[in-house]
Amino acid sequence: MFSYTFHWNQALKALPQMLDGALVTLQVALLSMVIGLALALALTACRLSGNRILGSFATAWVEIARNTPALFQIYMAHFGLGNFGIHLSPYTALLAGIAFNNAGYLAENFRGALKAIPDTQTRAGRSLGMTSVQAFRYIVLPQMLRIAFLPVTNQMVWAILMTSLGVTVGMNTDLAGITQELNARSFRTFEFFAIAAVIYYVIAKAVTLAARALAARMFRY
Amino acid sequence: MKTSVLALGLVAAAALTSQAHADKLDDVIGSGTLRCAVVLDFPPMGSRDENNNPIGFDVDYCNDLAKALGVTAEIVETPFPERIPALMSGRVDVGVASTSDTLERAKTVGMTVPYFAFEMAVTANDKSGVKSFEDMKGKVVGATAGTFEAIALEKQVKEWGAGEFRPYQTQADVFLALSQGQIDATVSTSTVAQANVKGGKFAGISVVGKAPFDTDYVALFTNREEYGFINFLNLFINQQVRTGRYAELYEKWVGGELPDLTAKGVYR
Repeated sequence: MFSYTFHWNQALKALPQMLDGALVTLQVALLSMVIGLALALALTACRLSGNRILGSFATAWVEIARNTPALFQIYMAHFGLGNFGIHLSPYTALLAGIAFNNAGYLAENFRGALKAIPDTQTRAGRSLGMTSVQAFRYIVLPQMLRIAFLPVTNQMVWAILMTSLGVTVGMNTDLAGITQELNARSFRTFEFFAIAAVIYYVIAKAVTLAARALAARMFRY
Repeated sequence: MKTSVLALGLVAAAALTSQAHADKLDDVIGSGTLRCAVVLDFPPMGSRDENNNPIGFDVDYCNDLAKALGVTAEIVETPFPERIPALMSGRVDVGVASTSDTLERAKTVGMTVPYFAFEMAVTANDKSGVKSFEDMKGKVVGATAGTFEAIALEKQVKEWGAGEFRPYQTQADVFLALSQGQIDATVSTSTVAQANVKGGKFAGISVVGKAPFDTDYVALFTNREEYGFINFLNLFINQQVRTGRYAELYEKWVGGELPDLTAKGVYR
């Protein structure tokens, strides 16, 4: 049986503190996406380059990023590297872990988007006198970004939720870290976790809606 | 006739279910099992032996309690931050989990009288140059999230206005980070500090002194409204001390001077 009386007025006093944490969460997620996108483009370029070493490096990255838990990746960034004397702060370790994960998934998104564009379009462009760079720049790339856009926003939502794993490496300034600390202090587990869940939901939903609105404007025919 | 049988059946059923008004003490005795939340990442209070069996002071304490109740004990491994959710969701009956009896927490759960008391010790990485509690000022320090010492240490770091505090999820992570040099020092219970330094799993760390925090009295806890059960638990703790079992368990798991479980000059 669930026997628990909620003390909302006590818990809501901590709301400003939790909202500060939410800002840190959003900041980590945004930064990890920026870094992740840059890395993903680089990985995609490696795979398209035809160079075997670069190609297998990119494949290995994508394989590890996609097939191991994000928790493991973040933990390794802190304690794994720490074993070799490389000390990342909890913030950096969390950011590095998520950026690594993002890059893997985003590179795969880009690959899927590229595959969705028929070769014949490039050939048609070339036969109209475009150089291969022009054909890629004016025909393939805009379509790739369009196809990949919504999966990319998905990854952004995923990145926001992944920041909550920072508590495993001692992160105490983001929303999950602050929630955890408030909980430890007062044992009002359910109030604080419920508030945190609502905040996470609102952020994630806002990102999704903003992305949809942006897509509607950008990709009008 | 048929209706009267049915009515009789209903009355009988009602009589039986009214027994369900039983409190937690009855429930535990009735079910024949006492489920204890124990932290198994906290030697010597709770850990696992080579065969993965739970061992430690808290484990023995739970077994004693079950014996006193005439039931079998079930050790439910519960990390520090999950003690309350485990109790509230009904996965455990009682917490035997080195839980500090703060007033803040007593608003949520029912605490017994103290069953154990910890002194706090500073453990430092040998390369950090930390030789005492005061040396920690301005350094990166850490402790296990949700513990008495973590709350006290974080407050201290804020008071110093220098350095950084990092809460880790488990005691093992704290000592791993400490031996890697990710944090310079930690405050933990002296029993835990000794066990980890002597255990030899973590290299390059040593206990450098005491931390001037209040004695950390820890209590058993259960649901706040279960007075009957809390009464039983209080008497049980009293009996453990009176019969010398507390001293025996302390000698077995910790050793040294037996901590006093009473505060001078005040009841309870």
